[in-house]
Amino acid sequence: MSRNFHEIRDPIHAFVQMDNDEREVVNSRPFQRLRHVHQLALTYLIYPAATHKRFEHSLGVMELASRVYDVVTHPDNVTEKMKDRLRPLTDSDKLRYWRRTLRMAALCHDIGHLPFSHAAEKELLPEEWDHERLTRELIASEEMQEIWNRITPPLRVEDVVKLAVGPKKAKHLTFNDWETILSEIIVGDAFGVDRMDYLLRDSHHIGVAYGKFDHYRLIDTLRILPMPSCGDDNESSEELALGVEEGGIHSAEALLLARYFMYSQVYCHPVRRIYDIHLTDFLREWLPDARFPTDLQQHLRMTDNEVTAALLDAAHDQKKRGHVHARRIVARDHFKLIYQRNPSDVEINPEAGKAIFEALCDKFGSENFRHDRYHQKSGSSDFPVKMRDGRIVSSLAISQALNTIPVVSVDYVFAERAVFNEAEKYLRQHRDKIIRPKKEEDNG
Amino acid sequence: MDRLKKAALLTRLIKRLREEESWCGETHVQKATFFLQRLMQVPLGFDFILYKHGPFSFDLRDELTALRADDLVRLEPQGPYGPRIAATERSKYIEELYSKTLAEYGGRIDFVAKSLGRKGVADLERLATALYITELAGSGASVNERANQMTALKPHIPPEIARDAIEQVDRIIREAQRYLPA
Repeated sequence: MSRNFHEIRDPIHAFVQMDNDEREVVNSRPFQRLRHVHQLALTYLIYPAATHKRFEHSLGVMELASRVYDVVTHPDNVTEKMKDRLRPLTDSDKLRYWRRTLRMAALCHDIGHLPFSHAAEKELLPEEWDHERLTRELIASEEMQEIWNRITPPLRVEDVVKLAVGPKKAKHLTFNDWETILSEIIVGDAFGVDRMDYLLRDSHHIGVAYGKFDHYRLIDTLRILPMPSCGDDNESSEELALGVEEGGIHSAEALLLARYFMYSQVYCHPVRRIYDIHLTDFLREWLPDARFPTDLQQHLRMTDNEVTAALLDAAHDQKKRGHVHARRIVARDHFKLIYQRNPSDVEINPEAGKAIFEALCDKFGSENFRHDRYHQKSGSSDFPVKMRDGRIVSSLAISQALNTIPVVSVDYVFAERAVFNEAEKYLRQHRDKIIRPKKEEDNG
Repeated sequence: MDRLKKAALLTRLIKRLREEESWCGETHVQKATFFLQRLMQVPLGFDFILYKHGPFSFDLRDELTALRADDLVRLEPQGPYGPRIAATERSKYIEELYSKTLAEYGGRIDFVAKSLGRKGVADLERLATALYITELAGSGASVNERANQMTALKPHIPPEIARDAIEQVDRIIREAQRYLPA
């Protein structure tokens, strides 16, 4: 008799378990393609061991998603009021259906990623396209639809899509409270397992300790809770969200600190950022019409391997499209950091980097500079906490640590090495004048 | 719209909400900004969806986080409750830079702050949802039709409360006309 359960070794979770239906998804072309998409793009040029792929990350997200689901839907952790609002909690068939859907959505949440992940997504897809839209279309493709239909009971495509990308990236779909909470388990701001897995996995591969946190304890204490009231009204919001029991607050702090450290020291490392920019410049010249294909068959054929081969080829042949940018990456001749955000400049102009970039381009030519601006994409660390006496309070009301985690904000300007010294000298002389913003009336 | 110009409008809105004694948590700012952009036609460019409890913009959430990074707003934790949002001293400087824009839209910001400043979070969720549905349904839809749509989308809102929210929004829409360009 053939086995229905399978296990895959994993450096983060020891084993990832899956059944036959899940293995069908893993064996599908869209999922197998993820074996050839680096989780962290060109980060391996700075941290050599960062060569892990979206394939194993997606398996990890599936593993964590059902761990969270099992905890938050466990009868001991569900109140009568919650059952009233989230009806599937009262129906064991529905609970099984949604658990399966959640695991499949977790598996598929990244299948639309372009080569080198986020590196060049915004600039190199047509308007209205992003990797989440490709993910949605692949989940709804004929190949995947056949898998969803073979499952008993069949999974609704729309349900898989909703949980895989969440309301932010599926604006055309209406989410009920239950679906919103389940999508939060995967893509949520504070406790989404996508983030939990990538922090743990990236820190493991890169070799840094500060991305680690006690995810076992954190997951055990996760609960679906009402948002704390605002103190302005007897009637509070009826919004439900993922929160923690009081005993999990330190693990939650550790997760959010890990996020801060990983973003500020790894994901926003200036050399990593400039390699992404050079890669985007290369792709813009190398790709037909300067765009990645949105046709699904073409998308499935395009991985990091094809891009890397083209990059190496172009780096060594001046006649090839994108040679200049490819050479910069391959020969490690990237632009140098000439300006980065600092508190005294922000006080004068929060967009000081933009002003400096424009001034340097005017003076020395725009081909010699690149500007990189990034803001942390999430809200505050405000989530509900269930205290031992049953009260629901805001996390920010009980955790000093959460109140002091800085917001990651990047504002870099990079310069071509040939003009670097001259540009730096110019900047030293004119910096104050350049960054001082003009009043609106003076702009004409 | 230029990011700093948008910052000036948002910090002014936050200040005015606080002056009107709003608790001014994130939900209050989200719903007030929704009214400012959609009803009062201030071109802030945020993308709103109908989320768990009413219109919500992930872009606006990100922008509020960015304003904290720039020290233009700060969070004020308040006992067991959710935090309040306050504009910082430094925001005055940005508002001075964009005094022309604030002169143009200041009346509309005042109107939103006065209309919504004293509302609690549950009220704001219902009113913003009512405005969202009113836009969706078009001008011909009756109060009952829109209330039915509201309860269909948000089953936790009882029909009589939905009707009341739609009627309140109709009043706000009528009053708003005098602040809008002809």
